[in-house]
Amino acid sequence: MARIEFDRIRKTWGDVVAVDALTLTIDDGEFVSLLGPSGCGKSTTLLMLAGIYAPTEGNLRFDGQVVNDVEARDRNVGIVFQSYALYPHMSVRENILFPLRFKKVAESEARRRVEEVAKLVHVDELMGRRPGQLSGGQQQRVALARALVKEPQLLLLDEPLSNLDATLRMTMRAEIKALQAKLGVTTILVTHDQVEATTMADRIVCMRAGRIEQVGTPDDLYLRPTSLFVAGFIGAPPINLLPGEAADGKLVINGFALTCEGSVAGDVTLGIRPESVYFADAGIRATVDQIEPMGRETLYRVNCPLGSITVLEGGSTFHRRIGDVAMLRFDLGDTLVFDRRTERLVKGAGAQLSD
Amino acid sequence: MEVMFGALQDQIQKPWDRLAARARWMRRAKLAAMYGFLIAVSAPVLLPYFWMVTVAFSSKTGTVDTLILWRAMAILLPFVFGCWIWSTIGTTARQMFFGFAAITAVAVAAFVILVLPDLHLGNFIFIGERNFGDIVRETRTGSKKGEVSGGIDFPSVWLAFANSLYLAGGQTIIVAVIASLAGYYLSRFEFAGRAAMLRSLLVLHAFPVLTLIVPLFLILNFVGLLDQLLGVMLVLVGFELPFAIFIMKGFFDAVPWEIEMSALTDGASRRQTFVRVVLPQVTNGLIAISVFSFIRGWEEYIFVFTFLIDNVNWTMSLYMFFVRDDILGIDFGLVSAVGVFYLAPSLVLYLVAQKYLAQMTIGGVKG
Repeated sequence: MARIEFDRIRKTWGDVVAVDALTLTIDDGEFVSLLGPSGCGKSTTLLMLAGIYAPTEGNLRFDGQVVNDVEARDRNVGIVFQSYALYPHMSVRENILFPLRFKKVAESEARRRVEEVAKLVHVDELMGRRPGQLSGGQQQRVALARALVKEPQLLLLDEPLSNLDATLRMTMRAEIKALQAKLGVTTILVTHDQVEATTMADRIVCMRAGRIEQVGTPDDLYLRPTSLFVAGFIGAPPINLLPGEAADGKLVINGFALTCEGSVAGDVTLGIRPESVYFADAGIRATVDQIEPMGRETLYRVNCPLGSITVLEGGSTFHRRIGDVAMLRFDLGDTLVFDRRTERLVKGAGAQLSD
Repeated sequence: MEVMFGALQDQIQKPWDRLAARARWMRRAKLAAMYGFLIAVSAPVLLPYFWMVTVAFSSKTGTVDTLILWRAMAILLPFVFGCWIWSTIGTTARQMFFGFAAITAVAVAAFVILVLPDLHLGNFIFIGERNFGDIVRETRTGSKKGEVSGGIDFPSVWLAFANSLYLAGGQTIIVAVIASLAGYYLSRFEFAGRAAMLRSLLVLHAFPVLTLIVPLFLILNFVGLLDQLLGVMLVLVGFELPFAIFIMKGFFDAVPWEIEMSALTDGASRRQTFVRVVLPQVTNGLIAISVFSFIRGWEEYIFVFTFLIDNVNWTMSLYMFFVRDDILGIDFGLVSAVGVFYLAPSLVLYLVAQKYLAQMTIGGVKG
C-alpha cells in the first residue's frame, strides 16, 4: 500500500508534451480514476507509475521516496491492460504464478497464494486452460489475479472494462470496486469512459492535453465542474451548452434574452443539464424534434429560441410526439455560466427565464 | 384459389430445379477442371522424382532396363487418373472413402505383382562401402580392383552426411540466434538509421550472390577459412541473414507491447522478458526461418564446390556431384540411390515443418 505523489511531473517525446505540470497526491488505499479523452496523457501517466517510462522532469514519490529511476520490476506494481496482456503460451495457473517466479517465494507458498487469489476473482475452475480458451471476462479476471497475486502496493487498471460487453462491464465494475475496498490497495484506474470513472472511483482526476483539468469526487465533477471541458465531458447525455453574450444583467442567447445573476459580462456559455430542463405550463416555447425512449426515462431533442437542446424526462410514459409544441423551464440554481474566453466557470453566476 | 396457387408453384418449381441442377453440374465441372490443371502442372515436377526413386530401387548394374520404369508408370498414371475422376463423381464422405480405398487397393495389388519383385537395395552399396566405384566397375567391365585409373577417392558417405549436417545445422543456429535478436531490436527500438537499415535488408536480397564468388574466395583465403566448412557456413549465414531478420521482425511486430510491459511490471528483467514471454510468441517464425536456413545449407552446391577442396570436407552435394562424375556412365541406379539418400532428410524436415512454413507469409507481410 502506498501514498503516491506526483510533483510537477512532465513527460515529453521530442517536441510533443504528453504530460505537463502534473501535481497530485493519492492517498494510501484510495481509488482514483484518471479520466480524459484519448491522447490526454492519462496512459502515459499510468506507465510512468508502472516504471515503463521515466518522467522527463519532476519527481514521482511512493511513500515519500522518489522512484523516478526505480525499474518497473522493483516497484511491486500490479497492472491490468485493456487487452489483458496475458501470456498466451502459459496456462491460467502459470500466468498467475509468473510474477511470483521473480520473488523469493517458496513454491508451496506461491501455489497457495495463486489458489487464493484465483478464488478471489473466481477463476479457480479455469486454472488449466490457456488464455485463448477463455472469454473476455474470464481473461480480465485472470489479468486481475495476476496483478493481485504479488500483493502490489499499487494497482493500475488501464481501461480494464472497455473490451467487455455491457452487462459484464456492470458486473465487473461492481466486483472490482468491492475487491479494492476489501484489499485496501491504492488503485488508479485510467479510462475515457466517464461512467466507469464515476461509478468506481472515490476521486476523479479529469485530464486534458497533458494537464489536470479538475480533481474531485464524482459529484464535484458532475455538479460543480470548474471548466467548460469538464462540464462537457462528464454526463451522458451531455450537458446543453448554449453560447451567448452577457451584459447588464441580461444573457442573450440566439437573440433570446434571459435574466442573469452574478458578475457576468462578455462572451459566455450557459450550461444546463438535460435533466434540469423540464416541461411546464409556461416558459420557452419548444417543438419536439426527436424522441428517444430509454425505459426509465425519455430523452427529447427540442427546438426552441435558445437553439436545439436536449431534455431528459423521468418515466417511460412519453405522451409527446414529434412535432408537438411544449413549454420548457429551468431553474437558476441548475445553470452554470462559463467564460468562453478562459473556458472557466464564473462562480456564483446563473441565468433564468425573464418573467 | 388453391388450384391456381398450386399451378403457380409448379411453374416456379421447375426452373428452380433446373437452375439447381445446372449449378451442381457446374460446381463439379469446375472442381474437375481445377484438379486436372493441378495434376497437369505438378506432373513435370513430380515425375522426375518418381523416376529417380524407381530407378534407385530397381536398376541393376550393367543393364539398361527401362521396362520396370514403364510398368511403374502404368500403375501410377491410372491410379492418379482414377482418383481424379472419383473425386468429381463421389459426393458423400463415405463414397469418397470407399472409392479411394478401392482404387488404392487395385494400385497396391498391381504394384506388388508387377513392380515389387524387381526392387532391391543393391544400389545403396555406397552406404557401407567406400570403394563402391571399383566394385561397380568390376561388375560392369570385369576389370579388377585398382586396375582402372582415374577413379575418385570417395570419403565415407556418412562423413559427407555429417559435414552437410554440420554446415546446414551450424548456419541454422547462427541465423536463428542473430535473426531473432536483430529482428527484435528492429521491431522494438528506435535508433538512427533504422528505416535505412530496414530498406537495405530487402535491397541486399536483390543482388545475385554468385557475383561475389571471387572476392569471397579471396577473403576466405586471407582469413584462413578456405577449404574449411566454417568458412562456407559464415558465407551462407551472411546471405541468409537479411531475409531471416526481416521475417523475424514481422513476427515480433505482431507481439503486443502490453505483454512485455506486463512482464516487466511482474518483476522480469528485459532479458527474462525476451526469453520467457516474447520469444515463445514467435516460435512459428523461428521454426520457419530455421527450416529454410537448414534446407538452404543442405542443398548448397556452388559455394561448397568453390571453397572446399579436400574430400574430408565434402558435403552431400559434392559427394553427389563426384558420384555422378565418376560412375554415371556405368551405373545410373547408384547415382539415383545417392540422390534418394541426399533428398530424404530435407523431405522429412519439410513434411514435419510444413504447417509452420505456411505461416511465414502471414508474419512476413506484416513487416
